Amino acid sequence: MQTSPRASTKVKALKTRAQQEQRLGWLLVLPSVVIILSLILYPIIYNMFLSLFTFDYSGQRSFVGFGNYAKVLADPEFRTALGTTILYVVLTTLGTTVLGVVVALALNKEFPLRGLVRSIVLLPYVAPVISVVFAWQFVFDPVNGIFMDIFHSKLGIFAERVNIVGDPNTAVWAAIVFSIWKNFPFIYLMVLSRLQAVDKTLYEAADVDGASSWQQFKAITMPEIYYVVSALILLRVIWNFNKFDEVYLLSSNVRVLSVYTYLKAFTGSMDFGQGATLAVLQFFILIGFILFYVKKVLKW
Amino acid sequence: MVKKRNIVKSTLFFLLIMAILFFCLFPFAQMLSLSLKYSWDWGNPSWIPSKVNLEAYKELLNIGGSLKDVPESVRLLLSESPDLTETQKEAILSKYQSTGDVFPFLKYFANSLMVAFLASLISVCLSILGAYSFSRLVFRGRSVVQRGVLFVYMFGGVLLLIPLYRIFAASGLLDTPAGTVVSLIIIYVVQTLPVSLYMLGNYFRTIPYSIEEAAMIEGLGRFGIIIRIIIPLSISAIVTVFIYCFMIAWNEYMFASIFLKSYKGLYTLPIGLKTLFVSKNAIWDRIMAASMLTAIPVMILFMSIQKNLTGGLAAGGVKE
Repeated sequence: MQTSPRASTKVKALKTRAQQEQRLGWLLVLPSVVIILSLILYPIIYNMFLSLFTFDYSGQRSFVGFGNYAKVLADPEFRTALGTTILYVVLTTLGTTVLGVVVALALNKEFPLRGLVRSIVLLPYVAPVISVVFAWQFVFDPVNGIFMDIFHSKLGIFAERVNIVGDPNTAVWAAIVFSIWKNFPFIYLMVLSRLQAVDKTLYEAADVDGASSWQQFKAITMPEIYYVVSALILLRVIWNFNKFDEVYLLSSNVRVLSVYTYLKAFTGSMDFGQGATLAVLQFFILIGFILFYVKKVLKW
Repeated sequence: MVKKRNIVKSTLFFLLIMAILFFCLFPFAQMLSLSLKYSWDWGNPSWIPSKVNLEAYKELLNIGGSLKDVPESVRLLLSESPDLTETQKEAILSKYQSTGDVFPFLKYFANSLMVAFLASLISVCLSILGAYSFSRLVFRGRSVVQRGVLFVYMFGGVLLLIPLYRIFAASGLLDTPAGTVVSLIIIYVVQTLPVSLYMLGNYFRTIPYSIEEAAMIEGLGRFGIIIRIIIPLSISAIVTVFIYCFMIAWNEYMFASIFLKSYKGLYTLPIGLKTLFVSKNAIWDRIMAASMLTAIPVMILFMSIQKNLTGGLAAGGVKE
């Protein structure tokens, strides 16, 4: 079949139009893609490469294969750091999630000045880590802090004033409390916006049927927020696992993996090889967890 | 009976709200109170200072303290020697002032402001183009790009620290102060770009396509559409994303601490504050005052965009 010349130019015009769109699409997104490829993806691969070398003081590298991995895995400090990280991640994720959900449920109810309360609750999350971290250090200060004032002087739970942040064995608990305080508003915000989307008539119907608040929570609210909360837990695990600032600035005594890596690579003998190895291990542990979680909990 | 239960219930609810507010606010109260206290007042658990002390703020903001540390004899000498030029006088004075005791808060503040501002500006400009591209234009590989962006914004931090440091050190950028600042700005652009792309992409999709079609019929090209339609229509989202990026860069400590290590004059606020804290000049009132002054700009920015930001955060554009 012959197409008329006019129709064929039209097809051609459409085709070049689509090609133009293609080209423009790539052109616009190109700067971002180049930056992300060269400064995120490439470094991740380069980091794996670096982990196969050892570096001397002048920065000269020599190939050691998996020597760094053998060293790191045999290092008791690494295992301690891994244990601390797991404790930190599990408890902070649990704490932020529970507190965030409870606060979201409370602030979803009607009460006077609700708008104001809702924005105040977000303050811990938006305040710069560096400024609130000192307030928390003072809270735990052994001499002047209110924590010791309450739990030693007033309640007598601690027999003597202890330096919680300064002691490597207890500092992790301060870091956990601080992280829960700092990050629960994030969970709260997400859960609240999900709660606002829940159909109110479901609760009205449940009321008519005489369901108690607890039954309503179990039968309506829980299923409604299940997926949001499970996705949020995943995000929090990823972020808390990689967390550096919040931990290190509160106390460098808390040796979670990221702090351990930082100290290994940039202080003392500046061991880039082992630092890179630690970062690679951290990356794979995280990927492993994400795959497991996505399959088992999110059931994708 | 029912009424009584209601009163009990609402009292409990009121107490719960109060507890939540207290939990959120007490570190801030602690910070403010301590910044206004004299050192003999620190052990006092009450948050209201026995006597208000504004010295820390004055010192940090450099109000009225510029001649305090200069010995009387030197001041006399300076005022009585007309032969000295202004620059010579200043040179003599600065010898007494720069004893390293003073925390150059305003300088660090300016550094932070510059780095965070430029990084978020670049990030927002690039992401307007990128986000428009993958929310509106059809091209091969679009979904790969979109998913890739989502993937990378899960990672970051320590994982990138060593390789990025090596890359920038090898490029020679870290050898000069200007190059170091440029590197840090690039790092912050990278850190914020995925969030910006994601948040703006989500927003652009909510703009009705018919407006653009109408403009195209009027003969406007794609760039014209971006500048004359998309940007004006989404200006609130753009400002929100800008401020969000600004906050990320303003708060960043890890990269700043590595990159700026050898350039004390370039310190941003987080690294400056940390240095102050571990130095011999660590005095609670000064640290707390500096913390307050670091937090205030961010708090003000946050309050100004809160409505948009919470919507944006809830739409899934977040990053830590």
